[in-house]
Amino acid sequence: MEFITKEDLNGTKTPLYETHVKLGARMVNFAGWLMPVQYESILKEHETVRTLAGVFDISHMGEFIFEGPDVIPFLQYLMVNDLKLLEKSKGQYSCMCYENGTVIDDLVYYEESPERFRMIVNASNIEKDFQWINEQIENFQVKVKDVSKERCRLAFQGPKSDELIAPLVDTDLSTLNRFYFVFCNLCDVPAFIARTGYTGERGFEISFKNKYAVTIWNALLKTGAGAAGLGARDSLRLEACYCLYGHELNNTITPIEAGLNWLVKPKEGIDFIGKEVLIRQKKEGTSRVLVGLNLLDRGIIRENYKLFKNGVEIGYLTSGGFSPTLKKTIGLALVETKYSSIGTEFDVEIRNKLLKAKVVPTPFYRNI
Amino acid sequence: MDLKFPADLKYAPTHEWVRMGGDIATVGISDYAQHKLGDIVYVELPEIGAVLEKGSVAGEIESVKAVSELFMPLTGEIVETNGNIADNPAFLNSSPYGEGWIMKIKVSNPDEIKNLLSVEKYQELIEKEED
Repeated sequence: MEFITKEDLNGTKTPLYETHVKLGARMVNFAGWLMPVQYESILKEHETVRTLAGVFDISHMGEFIFEGPDVIPFLQYLMVNDLKLLEKSKGQYSCMCYENGTVIDDLVYYEESPERFRMIVNASNIEKDFQWINEQIENFQVKVKDVSKERCRLAFQGPKSDELIAPLVDTDLSTLNRFYFVFCNLCDVPAFIARTGYTGERGFEISFKNKYAVTIWNALLKTGAGAAGLGARDSLRLEACYCLYGHELNNTITPIEAGLNWLVKPKEGIDFIGKEVLIRQKKEGTSRVLVGLNLLDRGIIRENYKLFKNGVEIGYLTSGGFSPTLKKTIGLALVETKYSSIGTEFDVEIRNKLLKAKVVPTPFYRNI
Repeated sequence: MDLKFPADLKYAPTHEWVRMGGDIATVGISDYAQHKLGDIVYVELPEIGAVLEKGSVAGEIESVKAVSELFMPLTGEIVETNGNIADNPAFLNSSPYGEGWIMKIKVSNPDEIKNLLSVEKYQELIEKEED
């Protein structure tokens, strides 16, 4: 057996770094950030989120503020989703694409007012996104500010998250619908709280100034919720079939290929980057598409494993692993479209063997 | 870390433990190994009857995060594997020296045994890895 005993611990620390270390977390370098991959056990943390509630430090993610009279037209130009479906105090998931339709990043933005938006982007894409956005901004009256390092972000997720957070806030979050947000006091300090998440459970994503990080983290743990690391975050999102940038989405994959057809809106009369390719793909389909798999044989399948049908390569795994909730091996794969219908069986190459897998309906699990 | 290393066992530098009984070696992975791997969700066991060299790959251990190879600590024939860990791979985490044993080897070269590490030497090795 060999394991990595030396992590590259020259990364950026979130305001909760010391807190994680004190809790006994195993710290890893993720996209240049020192993050807890697990505290005690990924399986236990996963189960806590599925049955009670978990607290995740997601301060590694990026946070931008957009301000100016042209914010809405600017985002309409950058995004594949339609901001006409948005309203004040609501957020929207979208992809930002290149002209050829492949994905720069998938992200969520929130309309604080028609002239002020908050955007949360992937940790690995902060600099790339910020640069891209500023390169497109020339004809729009918009200013973008990167507030990522001034603010702490937490996710509080699980079936009991509503009742556990209730005593800590000065507003009624139970009436907050999915993708809506409020500004309120959390532990007597100002916070942005949105009903969004990446686990397939009810819950909240929260943002506030760095100086409140330890107070709020400790208060959320004191409710009885458990600390959860990036390991559980990944196994939870895989069960819920949420795309992870760098896996299901990247600069060679379009949202249509990744099964996000619903995300790309016609936006008639509105030009947006990637529109021509994406609207065509949405109408005509693509030669490959993302599917969910169950492994029929015993074993674990992981990203980049190749898929074969009758000995011919037909695609690859974008993510894979053991599903703690379903107690079976699951995966997401990009395969030739003709092999994508539910029930289709093919082989996954796992080192020198071929194991049987079958296309199944997705998501594997969600409880929202 | 509150890890346990029974003094009556021998250890391989690749983190397998060995318990000798006559010419049969029972093999598993150490408490340190299971701790480093995290939650174990699948173990690929060797074929019974296979004769494998010391240091060769006997099987694979999949944790939630990664796959690791299980090495032969001694040369010999696989005479038994622990079928219970197929359904309960978590035994490797909860009981690495007991219910989580992996395989039994009929040792073909007893001279190799003295090259295994004592508990003291093994703990020294771990301390070096952790430094």
